[in-house]
Amino acid sequence: MTASQIYEVFLKADGKSEFRHVGALGAADNEMALLLARECYCRRAEGEQIWVVRRDDISSADSSETAPNRNKSHRHNDGKLVAEHRRQLREGS
Amino acid sequence: MRTWADLDEFQAFLDDGGMVEADDDMPEEYRQEVFRFIEFHANSELMGGLTERDWIPHSPGLRLKQIFLAKTQDEIGHAHLLYMVAADMGVKTRDEMMNDLLAGKTRFHNVFHYRAETWADQIAIAFLVDAAAFASQRAVFAKCTYGPYKRILRRIVGEEGFHMRHGEEMLLKMASGSQVQRDLFQAALERWWWPAVQLFGPDSPPDDPLLKWYIKSERNEVLRHAYVQKYVPLLQGYGFTVPDDGLHQDPDTGEWMMSEIDWAPLKATFSNAGPDSARRLANAVRNHAESAWFRESIGVSA
Repeated sequence: MTASQIYEVFLKADGKSEFRHVGALGAADNEMALLLARECYCRRAEGEQIWVVRRDDISSADSSETAPNRNKSHRHNDGKLVAEHRRQLREGS
Repeated sequence: MRTWADLDEFQAFLDDGGMVEADDDMPEEYRQEVFRFIEFHANSELMGGLTERDWIPHSPGLRLKQIFLAKTQDEIGHAHLLYMVAADMGVKTRDEMMNDLLAGKTRFHNVFHYRAETWADQIAIAFLVDAAAFASQRAVFAKCTYGPYKRILRRIVGEEGFHMRHGEEMLLKMASGSQVQRDLFQAALERWWWPAVQLFGPDSPPDDPLLKWYIKSERNEVLRHAYVQKYVPLLQGYGFTVPDDGLHQDPDTGEWMMSEIDWAPLKATFSNAGPDSARRLANAVRNHAESAWFRESIGVSA
């Protein structure tokens, strides 16, 4: 008997939406994981496409690794300075 | 992995709308309590699915057989997903949860400790019990701070909504059928009204940790009261009598007030000593043994 592995399941609802994580399941292999994903997460055709990924195959970064990018204001622009300039122009000052 | 210095810091995180994920270093109290709650829910879906299954051959007509097949698949599917979420909390494996359930060591909802005697009981269950479960699950979904549980609840609540609509449609057919059908449902209502009302549990204790941690968003007594306000007039509208001699409307507020609830039957179900507990558990044990070949063939253990 093959040992059961944990798979994470993703569904894509329609043409324009992205794949979304919906949950996990245990299955012996990829083929069985797809079948179980259809019967567990897609009984009413909630997705038109399914991905299953072995949890062990996922590399993940947590918040300590994403933290350095949390404070990079130069990668944003709130447009306030220009907006204020245009507002003054409109009001004819 | 996120971690919290103490329970106060964890509470502040939750008060602020924080969501706990499976790989967080959550406080042990939270892990144990939330795990127990999800395990109870998973057990209840499984035990509920098994009784739905038992009625598939007795469903009158092809459409109802299809509906009961689909409901069975939904309930078993819910159990499957919930056991996955529970196992991920690292308290017990799926095999351990299954063994504990079948050995009578863990609990499941009170309503699955009673016998469904006739087809009308199945309708009473679909109309009254599914609705009570739906209301209580929706209240958990509302604020649920445990992310994996909340995501699965979204799916479960959506599907229970279909079951409720099936339930009321079946009730409509009974209510607009023959006198025999109406009598059959009235008899079922008398068996199921109190178990359905008691599904919400006794009044929540003042310091209920599940409320504090936003697993529950509403106190048991508030949910129960709201349920009674909705279902008494619905049942009366279909021409049935709620089996409670003390039921009356408050002259000032117009709210439906029930007699004092006898909690002894609920407490009996806590120790698997309900009227049908032993048969249900034996049925589940037999089912588990008989389906071992299938689990083996698809390469999973429990």
